[in-house]
Order: sequence, then C-alpha cells, then structure tokens
Amino acid sequence: MAERASILSRTIATPVILGLLLTAIALLALLMGSGPFNQTIIDIFIRVILVVGLYIFIGNSGVISFGHIGFTCLGAYMTAWLTIPPPMKKMALPGLPGFVLEAKLPFWVGVPAAAIFAALIAFFFGKILMRLSGIAASIATFAMLALINQIYSNWEDVTGATSSVVGIPINRSIWPYFVATLVAVAIGYAYSISRSGLALRAARDEATAAAASGVDIPKERLRAFVISAFVMGGGGALYAHSVGVVTPDTFYLGLTFISLSMLVVGGMGSLSGAVIGVVLLSTIIQILRLFEKGVALGDTVLTIPNGVQEIAIGVIMIVILMRRPAGLIGNREVGWKGFRKA
Amino acid sequence: MTLWHKLGMGMAVSGLVLSATLAHADDDKIVVGFATAASGFMQAYDKPAQDAAMIKIDEINKAGGLLGKQIEVVTADTKTDRAEGAKAGLEVIDKGADLVVVSCDYDFGSPAALAAESAGKISFFLCAESIKAGIQGVGPHSFSASVLAPVQGATMAEWAYNKKNARKFYRLLDTWTEYNKGICDGFDWMLPRLKDAKLVGEDTFKNEDASIAAQITRIKSLPEQPDAIMLCSMMPGVVSAIKQIRAAGITAPILNGSGVDGSYWLSAVPDLSNFFTPVQGSIYGDDPNKDVTAFNAKYKEVTGADPSSQYVYPGYVMIDVWAKAVERAKSTDADAVVAELEKMKDEPTLFGPRSFSSEIHHQNRGRYLIVETDKGKPRVIDEWTISEAIPVDYLVSK
Repeated sequence: MAERASILSRTIATPVILGLLLTAIALLALLMGSGPFNQTIIDIFIRVILVVGLYIFIGNSGVISFGHIGFTCLGAYMTAWLTIPPPMKKMALPGLPGFVLEAKLPFWVGVPAAAIFAALIAFFFGKILMRLSGIAASIATFAMLALINQIYSNWEDVTGATSSVVGIPINRSIWPYFVATLVAVAIGYAYSISRSGLALRAARDEATAAAASGVDIPKERLRAFVISAFVMGGGGALYAHSVGVVTPDTFYLGLTFISLSMLVVGGMGSLSGAVIGVVLLSTIIQILRLFEKGVALGDTVLTIPNGVQEIAIGVIMIVILMRRPAGLIGNREVGWKGFRKA
Repeated sequence: MTLWHKLGMGMAVSGLVLSATLAHADDDKIVVGFATAASGFMQAYDKPAQDAAMIKIDEINKAGGLLGKQIEVVTADTKTDRAEGAKAGLEVIDKGADLVVVSCDYDFGSPAALAAESAGKISFFLCAESIKAGIQGVGPHSFSASVLAPVQGATMAEWAYNKKNARKFYRLLDTWTEYNKGICDGFDWMLPRLKDAKLVGEDTFKNEDASIAAQITRIKSLPEQPDAIMLCSMMPGVVSAIKQIRAAGITAPILNGSGVDGSYWLSAVPDLSNFFTPVQGSIYGDDPNKDVTAFNAKYKEVTGADPSSQYVYPGYVMIDVWAKAVERAKSTDADAVVAELEKMKDEPTLFGPRSFSSEIHHQNRGRYLIVETDKGKPRVIDEWTISEAIPVDYLVSK
C-alpha cells in the first residue's frame, strides 16, 4: 500500500484558503478607507472568532453548547478591568483588587490576558460539565451562561452591575482584529487535526467504539472546551475594544443564538463552514441594511421597510437549512480542488 | 467550487462593495448626524425627540440657515444595538456630521458618542439623564439635552416641603434602572437640607414585580403616616405600583420623576389624584409659555399626533443651544463650539434656562413645571427651581 501523505499536507489548504479569504476582506476594508465600513469588517472578524470558538468545541465534540457566550463576557470584562484608565476604574469599579485598580495595561496585553482568564474559568466549569453528554450537557452549559450573566449583572462594585462599563480604549484599526481572526482560525485548524481533535470527533461519531479504543471522552472534551473558551474570551475582549462599552446583557441570549445559527447555517462540523457561514450571513445582513437605507437604481430609490432585515435573515436561514440540513458546507472543508470530507 | 461556494463569494464581494457607497458632505452645508434608533425598542424614545429636533432645524433653515448655510440632516440606524450604535456614529461622521446626535439612553447612546468623541466631534444625547452622558462618561465634547434625573427628585422634595408642607417623607425605589436610582439620589441629597424634614421609612421593589403588597403593608404599619411618598420608578412597572398604593387606601401625595409624564396610561388608574410630576414643558396645552403650546401644535402638524410626553422637548432644546453656540463661535469647529456652550449660563430656551460649564455638560439645576393629576386630569399648577445646584462631586459619587 502506498504511503499516505501526512495529515498536515493533506489538510493545510483549508486554513490557507480561509486565511486568503480573510486577507481579501481586510484589504477591501483598507481600500475603501471608510470608517463605518471598516467597523463593519471588524464586526465580521469578531463574529468569525466567536463562531470559530464555538466550532472548536461544538464541531468536534458534537455537544451543542449554549454557554460559550459566557466566556465572551468573561473576556470582555477582563480586558475592561485591565485597560480602563485607573481614575475611571476607581470611580466606577471600586471593588476591584488593588493591583488591578492601579493597572493600565495596553490593548495587546489585555486581550491575551482575557483569553487566558476565560480558559481558566472554563477549566473549572469543564471539569464538572464535561462528564455530561447530550441534552444534559447542553442545558448545563446554558445554566453556566445564566450563572455568569447573573453574577456580572449584580456585582455592583466589580462589574458595575447592569450599568455600562466605559473607558475601554477603542481600537479602530483593522489589523489587530485581522491578526486575531487568523490566530483563531489557526487554533481551530490545529486543534481539529490534533490527536485530541481526532479522538473527540471519533467520540462524537461513535462514543462507545471510541471509548473502547481508549479515548478518555471527558478529558478530550475538556481540552476542546478550554481551547474554545480561550478563543471566545479573546473574541469578547476584542468586542470590548471595538465598541468601547460593555454591559452584561450584550453577552446573553441574543448573541448566543445568532452565533450558534451562523455556525449551524455554515456547517456545524466544519471550520470552513464556521468562517464562510459568518461571512455569508453578515454580507446578506449588510445588503439588506443597505436596502433599508435605500439604494438608488437609476431614477428610483429602492427601499425596504426598517426591520425587514431581521425577518429576511430568518427566512434565508430556514431556506438554507431546508435545502442543506447539515449547513452550507456540511461536514466538508475547503481545499484547492473544491471540497473534501473533513 | 460548488455553486454555493461561488454564490457565497460573489455575494460577499458585492455586499462589501455596495455597503461602502457613502456620500460626503459639501462645504456650503452644515451637517447634523442622527445616530439614533429607527428600529428596536429605543425608537419609541428617540423618534419623538428627533422629530422635535427636526422642527427646530427646519425653523433655522427657513430663517436663512446657520452662519448663512443650510443645515442638512443625515441619519444612521443604531437598531437599538450597541455595536450597531458605534457603526452608526462612524457612519454619520463619515457623511460629514458637525454634530452627532445619539440615542436617548446612556447605555445605547454611548457607543456612538464615543465614536464622535474620538473623531473630535460634538455629541449630544437626545434625553439621557445620567451624569455619565457627558464629560464624565464620554469625554469633553459630549453633552446631554435633558436635565439630570437627580434634579427631578430634588425638585419634588423641595417643592413638596415648601408648597405641600410635607415634613415626613417616604421613599420607594424601583431598583430596575439607573434613572430610577438617580431620582432617589437627588431626593436623598435634598432631604437633609430641608429643616425638620425627615424620612419615616423607605423600601425598594422591582419594576417587574406584579405585586408590591409587602411594601404597602409596611407603609400602612408605620407609626406615623408619611406626608408624601417619593416614588422613584418608571414605565411600565410604575403604573401597577401606583394602582396598588391607591387601591390600598393610601392617599398621601405621590411625588415622581418626569418618566411618568403623559396621559396615555392614566386610564389604568381611574380618578388618580394627589399625584405630582416635574416636567420641562407641558403637553397638556396649559404651559405658562404660549410658545410651548404653539410648538405642540406645530409638532402635531408635522407628526400627526400631540407630544406623548415631555421627552419630546429636549430634542428642540438641543438644536437651539447648539445652533446658538455655533453662531457665537462663527464656526462649527468642535472646540470652539464647546467653548461657547460652556459659556452658557441660564441661557433662555423654550423649556427653561440651560447652563453648561467645563465641569458638567448637563443640567444639575433646572426650572421644572409641576403637573398635578387631579381626578385623572393632569394640569400645570406651579413651577420650581431648586435653591442650589446639586454638586458635581455628589452626582459623580453615585
């Protein structure tokens, strides 16, 4: 039997193509040089990070998690705690520990610190939650989201409770977001071709056989959980720096469901699906918004009523899932010659 | 590539290209950008004040414009979403906005205001009533067009003390929003300044509580009944609270913030009496200033309906004070206009005098009309300005 090429050389095309797609989008933003357009692209990049984070856990383990946006919340607040100028912190968040109150760390320290913090918390939650399977695991992750949200909505001295936390340095350059997105895609790719990723997918498809072959399912799930929380936490921190304001209700059900639907529409079991799902849906949303504002076609201005965008995106998602129940990309990944089975 | 793939990429590119078509403003115009909610729940708050702002802009344009230039309006929808708010702020700035008007609420308006601040533009919150909506929470170019919530609480306390001879106060706080807490903060600040006035009891509830029976029982079992109840709450929960207080036979005057202004909800509490609200202007056609009544008529003519509450008025005030500052600065340059705004001391407007300083871009004192609802009919009975301004330090510490 001829020797097969290594897994790396067989699959490297996927992250390269996705990276090129993201580069093209970043260059487009640069070419346009318009503020709101740049911000839209930053928004898309953050979405890609969040959905890739979801993919790392959900795609590989097959367990739907409703709790990951909780890690986004942890990340966003962590970077807020570290990067807000000390005088503002002392006024708004006096309950923070002394060394955090005095700290004024730059953006590029805050974001990785936030990611590590989210991963750490995920480790403790995961130790318990990853023993569960199926719907019990999903509901337990949802309970975790509710828990995080309640703590952050009520811990007045430390999180400002439901008030907006302001003073987070805003970064409107596209590059940090672009680089972070590439890193997230690289992490997602590296995990999926790793030994742990392979074992977890085996457990997803055939739990009994995988366990019989020596796969420690809770342990592999925990690994994926922590890595995905790292990505989600970083995404949350970047969100905080892109808008400059965080509140607990931003990171709750709304964001959970839109991120999950982007993953499902793109293709739950595929990294390419995660990235392309976000890019495609975000694009459709932008086009619809443009029509809400009115588009001049010759002499007539074509306008759709405000709010149609939300309805239309729902209909589009239903149609996509009717036609392709496994998502746009399904379980496949992009390669040089089209799609291959993941 | 599959069909889907091609389709996806095609859409991606076309979408990105399309959404980038943005207009740039000419130099012979002054541009006001509204980064406000045209959809989502904030629209109910933003739209009326924005309509009032448009009326003032229209008046200025008909009178020859500002610095001889016509004011042009550009808008972007925040969709009642913070991330979209930041984008909307950037979008109106991109379209050349000299003034960026942001959502009524601090939480939803601040992303756009921060975008304006970092671009060095003036931002105005349509009607935010938190000290954060300004220098303290956004930066030195940010203002709010309304009056701080604590001023409402302080006004009601001082007015009831002087005009209703109230000495024993009861404080009932709905902990739902910063706005509610703000009203009670102002009340708390004023109370120790009123000789012989005391708090005979206090309690809290949540806006969503279906029943406040426990709180009512505690009021009724007080050793001395209060002369007035300071109710720090807002729609929609406040209506049920008022109904329950009155149904329990408590007839003491109820003092409120401006959030309960409007007659749209009064049918839910038939024959409500002894109920007092501070307002910046009257929507009931009995404002002591005839120009306010004329404005109400104009508003009805433009929008097809009477103002639903006093929160329409700050939009008009906002354009008024900003335009005056631009005239005086002879420029729309942000720093020059901010300097002129900060010189305003009791600047007369249709809805009471306005002051700004380099310390505070909000009203920590202001004239309020007092509206009494008697047998379900609201009317203006008095006006009151608190004897001293609430110190900035106190406001910030809350």
